[in-house]
Amino acid sequence: MSILTFAMPSKGRLMEAASELLGRAGLGIDRLGAERGYRGQLRGIEDVEVAFLSASEIAQNLRDGKADLGITGQDLLEEKIPPDEGSVTLLLRLAFGGADVVVAVPECWLDVASMVDLDDIAESFYERHGRRLRVATKYRNLTRRFFAARGVTGYRIVESLGATEGAPAAGIAEVIVDITTTGSTLAANHLKVLDDGVILRSSAVLAVRTVGKEDPRVQRLAAALAAPA
Amino acid sequence: MAGRSSQERDGLERQNAALIAVFERAGFDHIAPDIIQPADIFLERSGEDIRARTFVFTDPGGAEMCLRPDLTVPACRYHLSHVEDPSAERRYCYLGPAFRFPDELLSPQEFTQAGLEWFGAGEPVAAEARVLKLTISALEAAGLTRYRVTFGDLGLFSALLDDTEMPARWRQRLRHHFWRPHAFRDLLQSFSVGGGARQSSISPLVSRVAETDALAVVEAEIAARSLPLVGGREPGEIADRLADKAADRRERPLDPAKAEQLNAYLAIAGEASGIDSRFQSIGGSERFAGARNYYARRLFEMEELGLNPRRFHFAAGFGRELEYYTGFTFQIEADVDGGAVTVAGGGRYDNLLSDMGAPSPVPAVGCAIHTDRLRAVLS
Repeated sequence: MSILTFAMPSKGRLMEAASELLGRAGLGIDRLGAERGYRGQLRGIEDVEVAFLSASEIAQNLRDGKADLGITGQDLLEEKIPPDEGSVTLLLRLAFGGADVVVAVPECWLDVASMVDLDDIAESFYERHGRRLRVATKYRNLTRRFFAARGVTGYRIVESLGATEGAPAAGIAEVIVDITTTGSTLAANHLKVLDDGVILRSSAVLAVRTVGKEDPRVQRLAAALAAPA
Repeated sequence: MAGRSSQERDGLERQNAALIAVFERAGFDHIAPDIIQPADIFLERSGEDIRARTFVFTDPGGAEMCLRPDLTVPACRYHLSHVEDPSAERRYCYLGPAFRFPDELLSPQEFTQAGLEWFGAGEPVAAEARVLKLTISALEAAGLTRYRVTFGDLGLFSALLDDTEMPARWRQRLRHHFWRPHAFRDLLQSFSVGGGARQSSISPLVSRVAETDALAVVEAEIAARSLPLVGGREPGEIADRLADKAADRRERPLDPAKAEQLNAYLAIAGEASGIDSRFQSIGGSERFAGARNYYARRLFEMEELGLNPRRFHFAAGFGRELEYYTGFTFQIEADVDGGAVTVAGGGRYDNLLSDMGAPSPVPAVGCAIHTDRLRAVLS
């Protein structure tokens, strides 16, 4: 049997929570090589190699076939892989890593509550200021899809790879699309989520290449991860 | 496919030589706008949907550039940089590559577009009929025999809307949403139900604004909550919109019969030359009557040019995908086994040159032919 590559986040909360969940299911991970090696062996299931990757690379690795299954955020998965592509299947939502991808605007925009308002603003903003409303985000694709589905077109995306919530104050963008758990970062930056501005209620997920979905090792891992905490 | 063979290249070039010869003979100046364009004009003008399909890159100086996704904007830039008075009449044609990320129709990423743009034409109806005629002549010169022509007319819709009694800002919002049929229907519905917008997180504030000066409410709120003014909008702008929302609540609802009239108009479709009786049954008043007259004169001009509008199809909702256009719009589809392939389209876009810097709107009519699709149909 060929070796199955199981991609895990290499650091952070996602990695800790995933390791803990696996450990409780009796599936410890032995890291190979130096202490912080990027390869590992799964105890309890034969022929599974663990690859520690940055959470944002896992979706792409699944899509390219460099990993067979993996734990990553649903937000990253849906951002990297178009929903109709079918190459990767979301097998299981996990009980950690919960966060929402939201559309947020400055709190001082007292007249804006919904995506319809945002569309209105986009129009008048262009007329008044001669440029498009800018949306700062690292979720280029999620943003485009959501805005298109709500008929909002008159904006442009400004790529933001960190501290997106600071973009309006810095004058880089007017609107942001970002991930939030408690909303406190947004509040601290005087931003508010639109009434209908939740793009995705995300969590950590177990995703698998669709071709290998039925592999018994995949099924065993899914069963272990699905066990109630 | 990684390129064309010599036969494929030769076939496409012969076809395109036939297309462009028709435009040149008609007195259109054959120009070659830049392939690499500043991205801003496309992006500011078209928004994120086009940007998603445009090859954008940064030049070594940090400026955002793109491979042109279309030749209309480059032709406008050419005009603005070559002519002292942008409202001067000019007739241009072009033949060259354009670039887009493939869409669901699996069109190639680079394709050759042939087209023409007519700026500052004195007689609007004549120019529209003539552009349609030239497009058809070019396609026929290339060998296309079986095709269908569909057109729309945003002028008719706009006139009917102007004839419909409602607050000006409602009209403006409906016009804006014309491009999004779902949002349009919802908005129209909300106007005829009355009572302003649905409940939302800002409803209480709208209620307060309804009773007093909007700007005072906004400034007090911003001060009380110590909200920093970010996002580039002034308190006055915000107050104006809140005041509009409050006014919407007090407004008498739109007569449902009038809402129905707009929907009924948008559902009209049929043979282009016999459609006026359908317009007539809609009603409307002065402005709509004026637009019907304009439509009739355009049909007359088409016939004068030897076209047969009885073979053409009119659809009131046509053009709802093409935010560019301001009046007449058309599309030509080649008949193929089991369906149709869009090979050309065009229309009137009177706001583009002024959006790009001309001091006042310049009449503009144009067309574009997707030459690779045409080649695929013909071979």
